[in-house]
Amino acid sequence: MSKRKLKNAHLPIGECVSQVLSPVSPCPCRHLEELLKRTAVHGESNSVLIVGPRGAGKTTLLRCVLRELSKETEVQKNLLQVHLNGLLQTDDRVALKEITRQLHLENVVGDKVFGSFAENLAFLLEALKKGDRSSSRPVLFVLDEFDLFAHHKNQTLLYNLFDVSQAAQTPIAVVGISCRLDVLELLEKRVKSRFSHRQIHLLSSLTFPQYLDRVRAQLRLPDDFPDGSFAEEWNASVKSLCEDGSVDEVLRRHFHSSTDFRSMHALLMLCLSRVSVAKPAIRPADLLDASRLCSADTKVNMLRGLSVLELCLIIAMKHLNDVYRGEPFNLQMVHNEFKKFLQRKSNSMYNFEHPVVMKAFEHLQQLELIRPVDGSSAKTQREYQLMRLMLDHSQIMEALQKYPQCPTDIKQWAASAFA
Amino acid sequence: GMKSFGRLRVRRFYTWRGNPLSSNRKLRTHEYEVDGLPRTTVIRTGQHILIEGDDDDNPFAAKVVRLFGDESGQQKKAVVQWYVRVSEVPPSKLKLLGRDPHPREIFFYQGGNCDDEVNAESIIRPVQVKHLDADASFPPSDDGDDDETLYVKLAWDSKVFRILDSALVASPPRHPNPSLPPSPPRSPPAATPASRTSSRCTLPTPDPTVLRRAALGEVRRSRAAASAGKNPAAMERGRGGRGGGEEEPGVLSGVPHASFLDPNAEEDSEEGEGRRGDGSWKTLAGGILTSSPLSPQNAPGTPRTPRNATPSIPSRSLPARRPANVLEEARTRLHVSSVPESLPCREQEFQDIYSFVESKITDGTGGCMYISGVPGTGKTATVHEVMRCLQHAADTDEIPPFHFIEINGMKMTDPHQAYVQILQKLTGQKATADHAAALLEKRFSNPAPRKETTVLLVDELDLLWTRKQNVMYNLFNWPTCRHARLVVLTIANTMDLPERVMINRVASRLGLTRMSFQPYTFRQLQQIITSRLNKVKAFEEDALQLVSRKVAALSGDARRCLDICRRATEICELSAAGLVGMSHVMEALDEMFSSAYITAIKCASTQEQLFLRAVIAEFRRLGLEEATFQQVFVQHQALCRVEGLQPVGVSEGLAMCQRLGGCRLLLLESSRLGVLQRVRLNVSQDDVLYALKAD
Repeated sequence: MSKRKLKNAHLPIGECVSQVLSPVSPCPCRHLEELLKRTAVHGESNSVLIVGPRGAGKTTLLRCVLRELSKETEVQKNLLQVHLNGLLQTDDRVALKEITRQLHLENVVGDKVFGSFAENLAFLLEALKKGDRSSSRPVLFVLDEFDLFAHHKNQTLLYNLFDVSQAAQTPIAVVGISCRLDVLELLEKRVKSRFSHRQIHLLSSLTFPQYLDRVRAQLRLPDDFPDGSFAEEWNASVKSLCEDGSVDEVLRRHFHSSTDFRSMHALLMLCLSRVSVAKPAIRPADLLDASRLCSADTKVNMLRGLSVLELCLIIAMKHLNDVYRGEPFNLQMVHNEFKKFLQRKSNSMYNFEHPVVMKAFEHLQQLELIRPVDGSSAKTQREYQLMRLMLDHSQIMEALQKYPQCPTDIKQWAASAFA
Repeated sequence: GMKSFGRLRVRRFYTWRGNPLSSNRKLRTHEYEVDGLPRTTVIRTGQHILIEGDDDDNPFAAKVVRLFGDESGQQKKAVVQWYVRVSEVPPSKLKLLGRDPHPREIFFYQGGNCDDEVNAESIIRPVQVKHLDADASFPPSDDGDDDETLYVKLAWDSKVFRILDSALVASPPRHPNPSLPPSPPRSPPAATPASRTSSRCTLPTPDPTVLRRAALGEVRRSRAAASAGKNPAAMERGRGGRGGGEEEPGVLSGVPHASFLDPNAEEDSEEGEGRRGDGSWKTLAGGILTSSPLSPQNAPGTPRTPRNATPSIPSRSLPARRPANVLEEARTRLHVSSVPESLPCREQEFQDIYSFVESKITDGTGGCMYISGVPGTGKTATVHEVMRCLQHAADTDEIPPFHFIEINGMKMTDPHQAYVQILQKLTGQKATADHAAALLEKRFSNPAPRKETTVLLVDELDLLWTRKQNVMYNLFNWPTCRHARLVVLTIANTMDLPERVMINRVASRLGLTRMSFQPYTFRQLQQIITSRLNKVKAFEEDALQLVSRKVAALSGDARRCLDICRRATEICELSAAGLVGMSHVMEALDEMFSSAYITAIKCASTQEQLFLRAVIAEFRRLGLEEATFQQVFVQHQALCRVEGLQPVGVSEGLAMCQRLGGCRLLLLESSRLGVLQRVRLNVSQDDVLYALKAD
């Protein structure tokens, strides 16, 4: 379980759920809870999709609801759960085995499921068909990454699950979780017709003060923390941290970039990891550092590790891009451009042997800083294979600024084309 | 060779023995007392016989009532009283027995509706049938080699089992030489030597074993011939003991009967070998999964799906709650799964299907029907309703009994599984797809005598499409076989499936009745809800009309209509109102049909919104609906400066772009392309601008 989940786990339920409230459907939590409860208590079959961008709290919402429901014996004793994930169960064959395993049907020995794909399907359908509303234990099917299930052949699994959810068989609740807004369009018309069309959209539009409250709530220690005095100190330090001007600026920047939980947690985790016994509080500087780490450009960091020759080749490519308006280039062109620079301006660099340049070029390709043009045949001699640069100019200029002891003439050469 | 399930067909020739007793001039037939070749099988009236059928393991059993032939002597027929084997009783009805049937138990068939005339050629051999009193116990199931004896206790009239009077079963005085085992019918004189073996081979053995045994038989016979030459006494014994053997056309005239040197010993060894071969073969090929006690031993350590396992979801530990108020009651009634008392708005379709199937059942003919219609128009429900009514009619003896089975193209993993499922539902047998196809083909195409009409519902027919179309071809071909007595009802969504998919040969067989279900109109939808609610007053009249009109305009899908109503009752309950009104329905409709794109844009972060703006700006500059990330990023940087926001780096920009792509506001190429990936909008530009402006 991720740290985030752990941290959420100690929050009181109301607070946790209020964090995922959205203005679109005023009470997604209530809707889902009622729905699952009806399945568990009344044996009513249902299907629902939870849709929202990544990091919006879809899984958290479901977890919270399930945790809340499990407090009721009527639910806890009855509800069977099957959890599937589109990234793990990549086809219906695997998914069926997993369902059979999790339900402990008869063709399971230990953790192994026997029988062919066809047998497994027939077996599961038979099992579900036998049950009825009032006597069988209801089953909750959670399909994470729901959209991936829609790519399975014929959507057999989805059809059958939705079909059972609309038939007088074992009561089931199918909860799909997806980040795709167009997920309904992926369903085949028969499958779509059997889906109840209930959708819970988790779209939150936060204001900055709300965002700030969340940061504070996430960092706060609960009141029942064993070391009371430390908790008090800590909470006070968190409060003052959030009032700091530079912190405000950093958080505002993050808020503008992304409002989701995950990026906020990534930022806060970086700060928290610097807390030690010697330094029992987060300082504004920590947050600034963390923010810098979070928003650092990955490609720029890679460029800083290149040799001067490789950097020169990148600059030559940048010039070619400027001159030929983004047309692809080959090694020969890049080498010529580099030689031109050596003849005209260079006083710190000297020419390299062709094989050395070649090697540098290959290294750049391995790092995926350049990539061959689609469809250029592999038969073409290496020097003439057409390439594209996968960097933006701003990244090159930034890298040059940060490059340790970068020769001035190279910096000038890089900047020269901006005229 | 595991795939060849075809048996070597045995051809039998029967001739009349004795003079005709009487001749029926009207029918131009003669009646005979006794027929059959001398020194071979003799069939008499009153005798019990086995008759070739679908299943080589379990040939039909019957008692000869009368034997007759036509004037030319070409056709020889028998009128029989049928018995039913355990495997022929529908598995569901077998429960009525209240005990496990004995493997060699048969039932005296008293149901009407069955052709009792058989061709003499289909008679395999006589068989012994013993009547047991109702409370007598069966002998142990494996009591020796001549265990062909069948036991009859009860009569079956396709509805109930009855105690049987022993006089009905009584056989006439037995064969003149009762100690002889019943000898097999003659092989045709021109048959190859191998057919000698196969004609005797009534064991349930598939080809490989038969062939192996045939080879063994050859060896043994030649050895026997050699020894017979040396030992005429043995030969004599063989001959005398059997009271005459068979002519062996392939064997030299010098030692014509040498093969029957010691028939009993040979039979014994073959019997044992055949059984062993059987067991192992079944396990290896997995072709027929009968409950052979050998298979688990033969394959240790490989637990298989228990054959008769009854998979089930455990039952509740606490009882389900009943609906407590009007809204909950309404919700239960409105659930798609609840079976309504009647199906309104499909009266005409119901009538058409009913009379179609009913006429086929009463005539004892076959036919097929193609039913099409968009999802949620009540196709399957109507057919089920028809079958319920027909079943009721059959139960009250208004129409002959029939057998209804159902398959669904979406509920199988492969089109060929259709055969497996049909076979299993017909006979309870498990088989591989190829074997099942062969068995079904045989069942439907052979002029097998006794059959109830089978009604087969094939749902989601289009899923059964294969490149060679053989599954669909068979489904449409079988009903046309004269003896099949098969009614096939097919359901699919598209009206033109026959034209689109079923080329030539399949389409030509579709001299079929077609029917199409139109989407429900708003009045029909309204009627459906009203009839489901059945006077439970939970909705305002206007609210119902709104739902019906909305759904009728969108799709005419009754499921949608019911789902919306159900959701509306929930919303109503939350708002603590008594009746479901317009506002609740509106909210439900909004929840289910409104697109979330605009809300998603409104809820996106500032930079993400800015990125969308940049995309549109770049599209406008290029005059295209597509741009690379790099191009958009330049616009984005510029917009950041205009808005006074700190510009983001390329990595951050890409992450943002991925987030928008993840929820499909943008369509992106593979992220491996980095800044070179192309970006498109998945929403109209107007929608984006509208969402951003309203902000």
